[in-house]
Amino acid sequence: MANTINVPVERESGHLEPPESYFVPATDIYETDEGLTLVAELPGVKAGGLEVTVEENLLVMRGRPQSEAKPDGEVLLQEFASGEFYRAFQLPADYDASKIQATLKEGVLTLKLPKSERMRPRRIEVKSD
Amino acid sequence: MALIPWTGRTMPAATLTSLREEMNNLLGRFWSTASEPFGLAEWSPPLDVSETDDAVLVKVEIPGIDAKDLDISVAGDVLTIRGERKEEVHEKGRNFHRVERRYGAFTRTLTLPAVVDPDHVDAKARAGVLEIRLPKKEEAKARRVPIKAE
Repeated sequence: MANTINVPVERESGHLEPPESYFVPATDIYETDEGLTLVAELPGVKAGGLEVTVEENLLVMRGRPQSEAKPDGEVLLQEFASGEFYRAFQLPADYDASKIQATLKEGVLTLKLPKSERMRPRRIEVKSD
Repeated sequence: MALIPWTGRTMPAATLTSLREEMNNLLGRFWSTASEPFGLAEWSPPLDVSETDDAVLVKVEIPGIDAKDLDISVAGDVLTIRGERKEEVHEKGRNFHRVERRYGAFTRTLTLPAVVDPDHVDAKARAGVLEIRLPKKEEAKARRVPIKAE
């Protein structure tokens, strides 16, 4: 079978509804022999403000940055994205979504998915009589 | 840029000046966020700036940027933030499907609304956001002026 490129496809999910309005965090996606890695920038977001769910290979990340009770003083410039963020990716079947590992550190969310067993290259031993 | 109405007569000098000013503004914006010449300027992180009676607060989005790769300097009422987001290169043979994050060096210069005290600037990084507190110099602090009624 030819090696078709299986790339995570962005989509708005069906029953995991996106919020009315949201901003989209910048995300890098790359693949290694081990599996797939997604790295999203979530400045100001702490673990309590983030939710990552996977359902049938649909990966959804949503939440909001922690904000101060009231903004300090007079606002002169506002370039930060605010409010809720949301992003959904349909992951190709090559990856075992149930084994996803998520780490949030200093505003960077790293999601790692290993390749599912059947997709890993397996060396076949050739026995000779 | 608004169209300059044609009045059918010779264009008054004032209209020509405003055209030139508009072109200067347009070009000025290309250069304002980076000190590199046009073409090399790449990106700079978003800023939030607010002002209270005694300080100017500047926040910078810095996820993936190490404190050691940041340089903050203040001169009078000008704040310069320089830094670099380095690529994480621990994994070999990465095949990218999507690259949206911005990498590389940046310089952002900001004229502050008041003169600040560079010796008491406080900067701390939290969850990928750098918070810089620049206290105003005494004479720059807002002072309420009492109004005497005659």
